[in-house]
Amino acid sequence: MSADPEFENLVQLYYRDLYRFGLSLTGSEADACDLTQETFYIWANKRHQLKNPAKVKAWLFTTLHRQFLQARRHETRFKDEPIDEASAEFLTMSADCVNRIDARVLLSFLGQLDETHRAPLVLYYLEDLSYNEIAETLAVPLGTVQSRIARAKIKLLQLLNETIPPK
Amino acid sequence: MTTTEARQRLLLYRGPIDDVDPQFQEALVHAKSDPELGQWLREQTECYDTIRAKLRGIEPPLGLAEKIVRRRPIPFPRDWSRIVQLAAAILISASVTALLMKWSERRHRPVAGAQEIIVTGEVLDMTCYIASNLSGPEHAECAKVCIRNGEPAGIKAQDGKVYLLTGEPGQSINTQLAEHAAQVVTIKGKKSVRDGFAQLQVEEIRKL
Repeated sequence: MSADPEFENLVQLYYRDLYRFGLSLTGSEADACDLTQETFYIWANKRHQLKNPAKVKAWLFTTLHRQFLQARRHETRFKDEPIDEASAEFLTMSADCVNRIDARVLLSFLGQLDETHRAPLVLYYLEDLSYNEIAETLAVPLGTVQSRIARAKIKLLQLLNETIPPK
Repeated sequence: MTTTEARQRLLLYRGPIDDVDPQFQEALVHAKSDPELGQWLREQTECYDTIRAKLRGIEPPLGLAEKIVRRRPIPFPRDWSRIVQLAAAILISASVTALLMKWSERRHRPVAGAQEIIVTGEVLDMTCYIASNLSGPEHAECAKVCIRNGEPAGIKAQDGKVYLLTGEPGQSINTQLAEHAAQVVTIKGKKSVRDGFAQLQVEEIRKL
């Protein structure tokens, strides 16, 4: 029995996805839990403002991302190194090689990316969102989001290649 | 479109989810006619699937969903017409209460005294029990923490009746009760009932 079945159903539907998004952004389990909780509490207080219930998932991800950015506003930001986009076409990695990498290592590589690149890349991998939806979720133009995903993906594959040289 | 251009475009291609996206159509056609590009594309999508599976394989800590639900805030409705209705209801309620108090003073009806009883049942963390119907051994650890941290405790008697457990006035008994959280115990105490709500002022706890 629940005092608020709508809230409970929403938590059950999305808390895993939000937690993974939060963990990929912060690299910290505790911070990911806090972000996930805070996101649902904001929804609980503002649910009446959400005009289109079909967009609740995008709204939750947008809110979590905003919370993350607010928390990081005063922290030192490290920019990642420039990416050589010309090397993109040579970058490839077998699924077997990636399979040998622990999820925690993958998270630590994501943590090395610039925040503006990390969030779209995580949504690209984790969620079945179109590029338009990713752009809308992060409030960034479509072209910018695609360019950031491409650059972030190249950087991630570079990091993976450095860890496990391809056959 | 050259192979290099197709490859750059397909760097973002994830698989069937992007099949309807027109930006990939031309490059996908190109990949069908170029075996080397086709092989690269297969490796790319397999790599995407593997990274996705790795990330989606991460599970949140146990109990996170329950914690979120348990601690959810009670939203305050911001509908002004409802706020006015609520204010009117409070005003009427206060007036009625004042009238009733006057009436009650006239009657001087005595309040029923406490009655000593013995109850056997499970020690409950009332917050989780009432809000989420959580009790029993699987909830023992949470109940222990909640009661120790000052959340109200109760006991569910074998006849299904639930009593709020308290100590002497001004004294908390939560530390002792936390040790028995979710366990079946026998408690001797003074029972008081007000407005249909039963309270048991604990005098003695016996573990079964």
